[in-house]
Amino acid sequence: MLILFASAALGFFYTAVMEKGLFADPPPPALAPNTPALHIISPEEARSVFESGSALFIDARAEFDFNLGHIPGAMNLPLKDFDTKKSTLANLPNNKSLVTYCDGTECNSSLELAVKLQAEGFNNVSVFFGGWRDWQAMGLPTGRAGQ
Amino acid sequence: MKSLLHNDAAAVIARATLGAVFIIASADKIAAPEAFAVSIANYRIVPEAVNLFFATILPWVELLCGLAILFGILRGGASLLLSSLLVVFTAAVVSALIRGLDISCGCFTQDPAAGRIGWMKIAENAGLFVLSTFLFFSTSVKFTLEAYLAKRMHADSNPS
Repeated sequence: MLILFASAALGFFYTAVMEKGLFADPPPPALAPNTPALHIISPEEARSVFESGSALFIDARAEFDFNLGHIPGAMNLPLKDFDTKKSTLANLPNNKSLVTYCDGTECNSSLELAVKLQAEGFNNVSVFFGGWRDWQAMGLPTGRAGQ
Repeated sequence: MKSLLHNDAAAVIARATLGAVFIIASADKIAAPEAFAVSIANYRIVPEAVNLFFATILPWVELLCGLAILFGILRGGASLLLSSLLVVFTAAVVSALIRGLDISCGCFTQDPAAGRIGWMKIAENAGLFVLSTFLFFSTSVKFTLEAYLAKRMHADSNPS
């Protein structure tokens, strides 16, 4: 009990003095003012974009999951490896839009990756939020490692 | 089993390990309560309104329990509290895994790209739970502040 009370007291005192957490100024908008809002596309739009070949799909999942199955032609860029694999972005075709995806609506990696790509200067980035699960549910073509 | 509960070396190693883990785990959360609140929110268990409340108090509970365990004061309460916290943390991770959430743990760092939850995290928590439960039942007072203070008081009351 003593530890709990002391923790609460210290927590509130520290955050009040440092103006953090509950005592912080209202948070800034989720995206910086100059960052274009994320464009979320539906599974149908993802299929249409895939069939037209006008976009490069970027898989934000871990390499292991990517190797088990992915959207054909997709490039694997795990969110956690973004900084180390950033150099591969220079090879991206500049005539195509980019579509990020991850497992599905329960994951945020696709959104976070899209924000990072925008920060790197890619303006034509969309998020296929339904991700790999919706893609499979629609019975669309899939690729595996090496394809 | 009983001899293990009296074993000084086992208790000191368990205290050093558990104490260090929770002190380290609390650092990033104390420095960035807003980011920790986001980590809590990612689990989608508690209402949005109380995330920051938990993010304000929980890191300090971890820090004080870690210090209490490490230095050997209020060991019973601290180890019981840590065991309870570990049960809650593990239940949250299991629940998130069952729901298929692809989220970061928020355990040692609030970087969203680091430390995704997984069954390894559950094994890690189970190990820490064993240590905290062991310390709750341990009778060893070797290298504890409690023992040191008791010795000092005894010496003061019996100067000869």
